[in-house]
Amino acid sequence: MHSPPASAATPGSPETLGVSLGKLLRRPETGSLIGLICVFVFFSVFGGDTFLSVSGLASWLNIAAELGIIALPIGLLMIAGHLDLSVGSVIPASSMTVAIVSGHFGLPMPVGIACALALGLAIGFLNGYLIIRTDLPSFVVTLGTLFAVAGLTLGLSVIVAGSTSVALKSDPLTKMLLGDFINGKFEVIILWWIGAMLLVGYILGHSKYGNWILALGGDKVSARNAGIPTDKLNVALYMGSGLCAAFVGMCQAILYNSAQVSAGQSFIFNSIIAVVIGGVILTGGYGSVLGIVLGTMTFAIVNQGIYYTGFDANWASLIIGVLLLAAVLLNNTFRAMAISHSASRTKTKAAP
Amino acid sequence: MKSISKTMKIVVAAAALTLTAGVAMAAGPKIFVIGGKADDPFWSRVKKGADDAALVVKAAGGTVTWLGPQNYDNLGPDAAKLIRTALSQKPDAIVGPDWVPEAMDAAFKEVAAAGVPLIIYNAGGMDAAKRLGAQNFVGSDEYVAGHGGGEYFSARGSKNVLCVNTLPGANNTEARCKGVADGIAKAGGKSTQLPLPSSSFGNPTAVAQAIKAALQKDKSIDGVITISAGDATSAAAGISQAGLVKTVKLGSFDMDPTNLQRIKDGTQQFCIDQQPYMQGYLAVSMLNGYVQYGLKVPTAPILTGPGIVDASNVAATMAGAAAGAR
Repeated sequence: MHSPPASAATPGSPETLGVSLGKLLRRPETGSLIGLICVFVFFSVFGGDTFLSVSGLASWLNIAAELGIIALPIGLLMIAGHLDLSVGSVIPASSMTVAIVSGHFGLPMPVGIACALALGLAIGFLNGYLIIRTDLPSFVVTLGTLFAVAGLTLGLSVIVAGSTSVALKSDPLTKMLLGDFINGKFEVIILWWIGAMLLVGYILGHSKYGNWILALGGDKVSARNAGIPTDKLNVALYMGSGLCAAFVGMCQAILYNSAQVSAGQSFIFNSIIAVVIGGVILTGGYGSVLGIVLGTMTFAIVNQGIYYTGFDANWASLIIGVLLLAAVLLNNTFRAMAISHSASRTKTKAAP
Repeated sequence: MKSISKTMKIVVAAAALTLTAGVAMAAGPKIFVIGGKADDPFWSRVKKGADDAALVVKAAGGTVTWLGPQNYDNLGPDAAKLIRTALSQKPDAIVGPDWVPEAMDAAFKEVAAAGVPLIIYNAGGMDAAKRLGAQNFVGSDEYVAGHGGGEYFSARGSKNVLCVNTLPGANNTEARCKGVADGIAKAGGKSTQLPLPSSSFGNPTAVAQAIKAALQKDKSIDGVITISAGDATSAAAGISQAGLVKTVKLGSFDMDPTNLQRIKDGTQQFCIDQQPYMQGYLAVSMLNGYVQYGLKVPTAPILTGPGIVDASNVAATMAGAAAGAR
């Protein structure tokens, strides 16, 4: 098992508390942070006052929060060397579940919410179970569940509700907690995102599970030999991403007072992109929660900032693509610096 | 393993039985319908119309098969493939929309060349039907519908309307936005298009925030129209977050229950309905009549819209929606 470099720079370890510029530059998140600052400055210049206004801030934070809640568990999965494409259909599945249970059948909101979240956990469990039992690549397994769940959602929605979009009226308390706007602009889901950040940050940085996850992504076989219950860990990680995707789908249904079968596909790649901009390596074994959060914010700013500029919106995708590539390149440069430094430090320590 | 192979045998046997049954029964017309994703709220109504018309076809021992793309990322080429898939199965008639003529016309011409009766529906208009050798066009004229929407805006005082296009480049959505622009220009107003990239399509928050940003950037915008009913829900959220509910009027092409509820509540002014149910229903019925009995409707094109749904007729429309036909 090679030493997980990210844990060497975990926030809170006394070594990283020093203000040394060199150390700061070599933190794994530095590249992500600089990327974030660059795109922010870019859009502040071209987007002007409206981009910098409170409502401009809300614009990208709302996007970031919904994407971020999914990107966090996806990030953990990617650090452990897996992917989860099925989130793209867990989102509409949970939206439809809460809308059908509480909107179409009129059961109390908590029942609808519980059903939606249970659905996410169940799909996550299925993903994890299939992967450990079949040993197929997670890309293939979750691609399968992505289509299967999408088909089930469509088929069952039409049979049960007779429609592919179902209206939902939530009670005031649920609306306030899960699908309302603070100050008319900020979605409450931003607070849930902050909660998720703290929780996942604790898991990855301050619990034994964090080291397990990094070890799993670094070298699966050694991790198992070292006594880590890799199967249980995999299933738990997939249940986490299923739960989070279901949560976002449910919140969107409550926020927009309706659910549609076709929503959510854009989250599949957007969540992976956000995690990669955040410095997680696609093959696993490296990454941090702060990085994922910064990556999510960068992606959200690039995606929304474009509408505040005077650019012809026809060029939006081009600009998004170029800025994202630039952000990832920047990130890789800094990660290479961080890894080569920690490697050389380990060598010098080991030499005498 | 033994039990699995046994199950497999049963499954295979059952499948074989079903297939033979299908072949044995296929005496009536075999009609193929090319349409949108079945999980698209709009297309599910077209499909419901086609499914209802299919009851008559099935009663005569025929079949109606719906073919839709997995997604809209590569609409023209994907739909062209679907047309060829339908043609390869020796159909008695084909119904299809001419979404992207450049990509799809060649495939439609193969249908006509093979002597298979064809009706163009939903997109393309009578021009496409004539060009491709189709019998008729069933649908609304997108440009005329947009024009009607533009005039509706003008009549209610809007001067600068944003046309939100989440499917930029497709013929029908471009014609809708152009119709709006021309309709409003007649009264001295103007309309600009906001094309949204595919990375925001399917995510209501991304669409809502983009619309909010556009409203904040250009404070003179006093009307928003979206190319689909689902996008109108995002637009309503965007308008309310920008704090402009009182000044910005909202309209939508197509409609769903949430749109109707907003019209009832007064937070949306209108929907432009093209009555999708009738498109699927009429196109399949007409082809069935032609194949079985040589019937042909002399009226061409068959226009199913536009009809404006606003506060004046929302109650009747909601009753139709509850029945699943609107």
